[in-house]
Amino acid sequence: MTEPTPTAAPGRRFTALLADDEDLARALLLEHLAGHPEVQVLASCRDGFEAIRAAAEQAPDLLFLDIQMPGLDGFEVLELLDPGPAVVFVTAHDRHALRAFQVHAADYLLKPFSAERFEAALAQAKLRCGGPSAWPDPAALAATAREGRLQERLLIKDGARVTVVPLARIDYIQAQDDYVLLKAGAREHLKEQTLSSLEPRLDPRQFLRIHRSYILRLDRLAQLEKTATDSWVAVLTDGTRLPVSRSGYARLARTLEY
Amino acid sequence: MHPVLGSRARLGTYLLAWVPGVCLLAGQFLAGGWALRDALALAGPSCLLASALFLSSWHLCRVAPLRPDRTLSLLGTWAAASACMGTLWAGAVWLLFRLLLDLGLLGGALVVPVLAVPELLRLAGIGAVFHIVTVAFHYLLIAQERTREAETAGRDLRELAREAELKALRAQLDPHFLFNSLNSISALTTLDPPGARRMCVLLADFLRSSLRLGEQQLAPLAQELELLRAYLAIEQIRFGSRLQVDWDVDPRTGTVLLPPLLLQPLAENAIKHGIAQLPQGGRLRLRAHLVEDPGGPGRRLQIGLDNPMDPDAPAPAGLGLGLRQVRLRLRGWFGPEAGFTAGPVGDRFQVLLTFPESDHD
Repeated sequence: MTEPTPTAAPGRRFTALLADDEDLARALLLEHLAGHPEVQVLASCRDGFEAIRAAAEQAPDLLFLDIQMPGLDGFEVLELLDPGPAVVFVTAHDRHALRAFQVHAADYLLKPFSAERFEAALAQAKLRCGGPSAWPDPAALAATAREGRLQERLLIKDGARVTVVPLARIDYIQAQDDYVLLKAGAREHLKEQTLSSLEPRLDPRQFLRIHRSYILRLDRLAQLEKTATDSWVAVLTDGTRLPVSRSGYARLARTLEY
Repeated sequence: MHPVLGSRARLGTYLLAWVPGVCLLAGQFLAGGWALRDALALAGPSCLLASALFLSSWHLCRVAPLRPDRTLSLLGTWAAASACMGTLWAGAVWLLFRLLLDLGLLGGALVVPVLAVPELLRLAGIGAVFHIVTVAFHYLLIAQERTREAETAGRDLRELAREAELKALRAQLDPHFLFNSLNSISALTTLDPPGARRMCVLLADFLRSSLRLGEQQLAPLAQELELLRAYLAIEQIRFGSRLQVDWDVDPRTGTVLLPPLLLQPLAENAIKHGIAQLPQGGRLRLRAHLVEDPGGPGRRLQIGLDNPMDPDAPAPAGLGLGLRQVRLRLRGWFGPEAGFTAGPVGDRFQVLLTFPESDHD
């Protein structure tokens, strides 16, 4: 007999959520889980939005999460979820994601996987469940996985509802304490994130920090005005006026080359 | 190595080209009152000497390549070089003349040949002209060599490009697709064993026909469609009811030739970036028709693929590259006769390609 691997407390019950856009892939996970009566599958979701809704409503212990899904991918789901479930990533082939799992010691299954591999991942997830290491840091994971690739859209979660805001629609972003206000035409969105953590993930050719509290989408800039107090104001194409700090002005001058 | 000395045929031609030179020179000596025997006895070795001496102009031609913007400086170089070489040669001929005279090989006839200053000056002039002609000949030789080199390089390059293209095509087979398909088989083995076997066969069909097509330069559309059918059947097993496929193919298009593996990447794009991004899925439409060519006597093949897409999804990174590759390959084969458009039309993404019909004979 080999050394018994540590297992979760006997008799403990778990709830689980599956998210994969392929019917057969979900069926396979269900089949593997059928041998574990202690795990109760709450829902089997077909895309990221469903997964967010189900997770918000049912707070599972375990989450089996595919990376490539329509709507929201696995990393986006992770970013939007409240900390809680122990996550097991399931993916077919994604070098960037693999690197992220290894760097951040996340549990993962590579499709197709053996029964042994599944058992090991499940045991590991059960152990982590409820502990401090259950929850991989979503931002760090996503950053490793998206290495070099810039954000193309922002996601905002309000309860079980998710709003997707393409960056192309955003006019400017304003800091409001722990939140950022995204201004997109007549619409405004509040997102729980700091301006400083958002800035490096935006394309510097399109977005520029013009002030401690403002990031501007460059093609929305109509003109720069000098005020009586010798400071500058950015006037946007829709007439909005935003303050420009001294360093913001220097960055603008450098980027626009004038 | 000098190109003339590199090949016996070229050396023979070069020496033969000097025969008129011998005649010219002998003519000069005859005009000076020499006997024919003496004139030939000196003209022959002299021209042989010149032919060897003036081979050095090859280096001149390499150092001073022909350039239209430097005509004047080139003319100067040639004139100076030819004057020098002409004089040098005239001196050598005079030495030769003395040598032959001392050996008694000249002057046996009634008239004693004379080679004085005026004759020597004329000889230098003739030498300069000979040299100029040799220079021109060398430029010709170099140009010819360049052309041949360029042709070889072009052929190598084309060969290389084709190899690279095929390698790229093989690599293009999406590993994500393969691993997901294997995962589907893994699920089917207990859920639906006959289905698992069917999927294995489809996957083998797909791999086999993509390998076979990858070896060809042009393949009939029927083969490409066969590959596409296997590919789409696999994807339909993976995506279930989310992927529907409409075929609208004129059977007469089956024999039309096109670069292989051109359509499969387009179908892959349509699924990966279009239908797979939609939770409810959608319908992939595929059309192939022959139409009369409005600008010519023949017919053109028209192929269209379109799929629904999420208008809010960001433009995927890999899409542009794949489409550009298809466009380049089409252009590469059919030149300006090829037509290729790709882009959103309403809420669908549409790719349209047309090119002239060419059949198996």
